[in-house]
Amino acid sequence: MKVVFAILFFISCLSCESQSKINIAAEKKMVKVKGGKFKTFYVSKTDKPLLVEPFLMDECAVTNKEFLEFVKANPAWSKSKVKRLFADSNYLKHWKSDFEIGESNKNIYNSPVVNVSWFAAIAYCNWKNKRLPNLAEWEIAGNAPPQNIQYTSITDYIMKWYEKPSLPVLPNVKTTYCNTYGLYDMHGLIWEWTFDFNSFISTSDSRNTSNNDNNLFCAGASINVTNREDYAAFLRYGFRGSLRGNYCISSLGFRCVKDLPSNKL
Amino acid sequence: MKKYIMLSVVTAFLFSCNGNMDVANNNAGTDNTVKKSVTKNNNASAAESIFIVSDTFQTQNKKEIILSSLSGKPTVVGMIFTNCSYACPKITAQMKNIAGKLKADGKDANFVLVSFDTKRDNAGQLKMFANMMNIDDSWMLLHGSEQAVRTLSVLLNVQFEKDAEGNFSHSNIISVLDKNGVLAFQKEGLEADQKETVNRIEELIN
Repeated sequence: MKVVFAILFFISCLSCESQSKINIAAEKKMVKVKGGKFKTFYVSKTDKPLLVEPFLMDECAVTNKEFLEFVKANPAWSKSKVKRLFADSNYLKHWKSDFEIGESNKNIYNSPVVNVSWFAAIAYCNWKNKRLPNLAEWEIAGNAPPQNIQYTSITDYIMKWYEKPSLPVLPNVKTTYCNTYGLYDMHGLIWEWTFDFNSFISTSDSRNTSNNDNNLFCAGASINVTNREDYAAFLRYGFRGSLRGNYCISSLGFRCVKDLPSNKL
Repeated sequence: MKKYIMLSVVTAFLFSCNGNMDVANNNAGTDNTVKKSVTKNNNASAAESIFIVSDTFQTQNKKEIILSSLSGKPTVVGMIFTNCSYACPKITAQMKNIAGKLKADGKDANFVLVSFDTKRDNAGQLKMFANMMNIDDSWMLLHGSEQAVRTLSVLLNVQFEKDAEGNFSHSNIISVLDKNGVLAFQKEGLEADQKETVNRIEELIN
């Protein structure tokens, strides 16, 4: 009897292994982002910068096609089954049905998946043994300069993108620019979820001031924009601050990150 | 024989679930006014119980729990960290104040503090904080994974951010869940009058 179990166990291990090999083969390319010191643009001069460890990041946003695989494997995340607590009624509204993006939507299979909530993005990343980037990681990754386009400043580039009316059909991933890390479309295609999107946008310690707002926040302070010209970033932070975890928006998608193996090779 | 015992236990369990659900349905009508007040600022999430979240937390007594174990009575939730010298003791004191008023009226609710500080606030640290604040073991002081804590903060609309020194900026909100885990009422601010909060909790109990 024990032998039978041993054999069964052995077989199941084998199938796991072949399964994981298949997964690795289909794995999205991730690139290494050098960490470093990060200071949000609004903090005061006395604040210490955050230390960000190096990490791996998906080279581009998660696509409709990739997200469909996730939904098929996790039907609780299909349009009709998803809990309203975790995704509002706009969840995947551009898809034809629970498990179909739709024939008429063929040209968006490789476009970033949008109309996905923070909860759905987290569930996807966890399914891939990854996680959502935190704000500091995303900003460090996003601030790297483009390497394959002509530009004067990232801020100008982003402002031009904001000014453009949104296209009726969202372009495919890797259609804007690639930055020096090898990351595509950090700006210019969609907005992206961050793990800590509900961070309060200040870190200054002002416990001793008598500002009325202090009653609402511990160690909260008014916004101290360090570089007022960085209006693009200002809008990005404002946008994140207006979100709720179950919001699904047609210009908001995500990409995943992963810690480097601890040997940091 | 064993099988039959198991079966009857399971059946009993099923029946008790049904019983609870009936009570919930009966109350739904009377609870409407309370729910509406949250619906205004919380939109779609108010419709569902946060007890569907499956993350586990650990108490100050090292007991593993999931949020749904709080069902059956209203729950008062605050999010804090124990290294916080100003706002967090104040939130805690406000919650103690609420607990005292409920007790005086002969009412009972769960009281839960959840820590932002996944690094430093382990069970031992939370136990120390409880002792310092004169909180007995009827309260739960919880810590969990970064994802579990962030998820709860998102569901309760509590904003928080960790700084380079490992401290947190955070909004000061006391939340009230009904006995089914639906967010029923929230009060923001450190100087807030908790009279309304007490009234809402008592409405939820009645």
